[in-house]
Amino acid sequence: MSCSIRWADIKTLGTRIWEHHNAVRRKDPLFLIYTHKSSTKHKWDLVQIKFKANTKSARELVLECGVCEDVFSLQGDKVPRLLLCGHTVCHDCLTRLPLHGRAIRCPFDRQATELGDSGVWGLKKNFALLELLERLQNGASNQPGASEETSAGSGECIIRCDEDENHIASMYCTICATHLCADCSQLTHSTRTLAKHRRVPLADKPHEKTLCPQHQVHAIEFVCLEEACQDGPLMCCVCKEYGKHQGHKHAVLEGEANQIRASILDMAHCIRTFTEEISEYSRKLVGIVQQIEGGEQIVEDSIGMAHTEHVPGTAESARSCVRAYFADLHETLCRQEEMALSVVDAHVREKLIWLRQQQEDMTILLSQVSTACLHCEKTLQQDDCRVVLAKQEITRLLETLQKQQQQFTELADHIQLDASIPVTFTKDNRVHIGPKMEIRVVTLGLDGAGKTTILFKLKQDEFMQPIPTIGFNVETVEYKNLKFTIWDVGGKHKLRPLWKHYYLNTQAVVFVIDSSHRDRLMEAHNELAKLLTEKELRDALLLIFANKQDVAGVLSVEEMTELLSLHKLCCGRSWHIQGCDARSGMGLHEGLDWLSRQLVAAGVLDVA
Amino acid sequence: MKHFLRTLVQFFLFFYCKCLWRCLKFVLRKVTGRCELQRICYSNKPGARRTLKIESSLRFSKNELLQKAVSAHPDAVEKTTEDIMKLKRINPDTNPQLGISLQASLLQIIGYRNLIVEVEKLRRESYDSENPEHEKMLLKLWSSLRPDTALKGRITKQWCEIGFQGDDPKTDFRGMGLLGLYNLVYFAEYDSVTSQQLLHDSLQPKYSKMDKLEWEKKKFDKAIGYSFAIVGINITELAYSLLVSGALKTHLYNVAPEAPVLAHFQQTFCYLMQEFHTFWMEEDPCDIMEFNRVRSKFHKRILKQLRNPDTALCPHFSASDHLINL
Repeated sequence: MSCSIRWADIKTLGTRIWEHHNAVRRKDPLFLIYTHKSSTKHKWDLVQIKFKANTKSARELVLECGVCEDVFSLQGDKVPRLLLCGHTVCHDCLTRLPLHGRAIRCPFDRQATELGDSGVWGLKKNFALLELLERLQNGASNQPGASEETSAGSGECIIRCDEDENHIASMYCTICATHLCADCSQLTHSTRTLAKHRRVPLADKPHEKTLCPQHQVHAIEFVCLEEACQDGPLMCCVCKEYGKHQGHKHAVLEGEANQIRASILDMAHCIRTFTEEISEYSRKLVGIVQQIEGGEQIVEDSIGMAHTEHVPGTAESARSCVRAYFADLHETLCRQEEMALSVVDAHVREKLIWLRQQQEDMTILLSQVSTACLHCEKTLQQDDCRVVLAKQEITRLLETLQKQQQQFTELADHIQLDASIPVTFTKDNRVHIGPKMEIRVVTLGLDGAGKTTILFKLKQDEFMQPIPTIGFNVETVEYKNLKFTIWDVGGKHKLRPLWKHYYLNTQAVVFVIDSSHRDRLMEAHNELAKLLTEKELRDALLLIFANKQDVAGVLSVEEMTELLSLHKLCCGRSWHIQGCDARSGMGLHEGLDWLSRQLVAAGVLDVA
Repeated sequence: MKHFLRTLVQFFLFFYCKCLWRCLKFVLRKVTGRCELQRICYSNKPGARRTLKIESSLRFSKNELLQKAVSAHPDAVEKTTEDIMKLKRINPDTNPQLGISLQASLLQIIGYRNLIVEVEKLRRESYDSENPEHEKMLLKLWSSLRPDTALKGRITKQWCEIGFQGDDPKTDFRGMGLLGLYNLVYFAEYDSVTSQQLLHDSLQPKYSKMDKLEWEKKKFDKAIGYSFAIVGINITELAYSLLVSGALKTHLYNVAPEAPVLAHFQQTFCYLMQEFHTFWMEEDPCDIMEFNRVRSKFHKRILKQLRNPDTALCPHFSASDHLINL
């Protein structure tokens, strides 16, 4: 029951238990005893607790705040401050008292105390009390045997002379078993008999032999090694030979103790290295924090003059890196904007020039027509002979007019006058003028994978059982504001070498794989790998259609990605695998969506 | 003005179809004393010319019996003919020829319809490698095309030699089903000389026109020839679409004395294969990639040929004339 908890109280237990809740809040010593009891499972009954609580010395306990009942301290929140009426209350409680104007009322006699500008801090500390408190605390070590705990605690370091409390022992008499200082040793062992007592320096003091509790005359000399006796392994020779440890395995006490000491030393060593490690680590932490934060560093320059230099931390360099990146980005964007604007300008210029040309043409035409008109009118007014003479001329004129009219209507038919300038953006921020953006796509894959079916499903939204493609099919599919020109090249073995003719200027490759045909997956993989090494397809997008997902027991998209090791194969290019089913058309538009997302800047699709 | 004229023509045509045509028929009937069917039979040669007219006459007739005549069962044709004669009040004794002609034409019309059904059924039946009959058929195709070489296994690279796409021909039959296989087997069996020749030619690089060295250089992508089997399947599709669209009527009515059967269709296929091969050689495309272009050109040519009602695509298969003239 030698617990290290310090407690302090002189009040009776009954009241205290009743105040339990307050105690919890205030971290009351009694509460600490309680928690200690419950946490260590020490078996104390209420009486014992009461006893423990009462035996504490009264030294600090007088000095507790009358309001919160906490012990005053020399500084901090619990500093005692003096009120005008003479009562002393701790700082903490004073700050909590309600203000009446600029005054607070004493909690004991309601007398008001005026506060200055600095509030509670302006009140004088109770220095008399503080001095007393200090003395009591210092004097605690001077009180000999004030309590068992104190002497046990302090005895380790300073051993008092047994003759005079004020002396410090330096010798030990092995016969009298007393601690003595040099003076008292001389004084007490002056007689002849006593002078023969062997006195040794305190450091060489032999260990006291502890006596066996069962056999009071015998010292404990052995330690039992049996597992069952680990609760009380100590034994004297009687215990060993005849007592409860009869026949047990044993070791000599001293040896065992030394062994334990050695292990403790070891452990201490370990702890020391561990501490070092921890401190090393924390030092490193500090270093890293410093590295991150950066700061001033004293640097000696070539002349030997020391001056501080600002060392940038990693945080700073990361920030500057980001700044540089975005500055670069801004620059690129500006350049791209200029480019795009110049494209638009060129387009507008061209269009305007053409329109002006048209305008001029029209003016000329108008003047021609009006001249003809005028001529006709003039002829009308002339006499009959001249009219007849002018007949040929007039017919010729009318013929040319008719021709011009025909030309005009033809022209007007196939030219739509449209002032709008539809603009779309590609992913790399190039501008594209025109209602549709054209994309060249090549569909490849093994024979029977479903390339043609997908093509016709996209084109006509109907499922047709295709026949093997010999050569290629080409169709234009419009989707959103994109115009896909899809080349579907036959997958026959012999045709595969011819695929390469279709690679040029291809923005995207659609590779179709039959997911229901596991045996041919490796063949598909090889073809795909071959495809990806092609120089012309280096920048092409790759869309993989895992076709025939409607068939039972097919490879899922994930499995296929795994089996074809697509992540490795398509590393460094934009690719996408899309499960689809050409029969119902499931997944096809998602694939095209992906393609358009890759090609067209975000958000533009929805605008169109 | 132009627009007005166009509307007027349209209106006139509509009016003609609605009532003028019938009035005209009525007047003719009164004047000649013969019904339309009689007029057709007497004034047209037997074959497509006659049958096509009879077919449209029957189809556009307002009499239910006549309308139904084109979709009657083959066994009921005789009775239907009698019914028509009775309805039109034609004396079979004075017009013995008419009954026979009408019956033959009806048989042709009905037979053509049934042929479409039959072919469609074959096309829809997909190749099943579990089915021993299908397998037997496939192996027969091999043995007739390559009588000297034995097949090493069911799934083998050898199939590519006769122009399939992969190791297993099964996948190539997806669009045309068994029809493709039947046609190929028929071609290989009944016209083995031509088919062997075709296969041989398709495998041979055509280096007749350039010298051999130049040929070797370009060999990799040029003149792979074409693949016999899948070209066969493609041509099957061509024949099938011609049949379904009705374009083949001209040919089949001219060729088949009575109801056209599958054999007629298959003979047509053989003819088309042969023709296509010649056409391909004439076109002399630089590589197989031009197949679709050549094919559509060929398709157009055949369609143009078939527009002439006297066309019979394969005269050497045509039946003897006396049957039609009966």
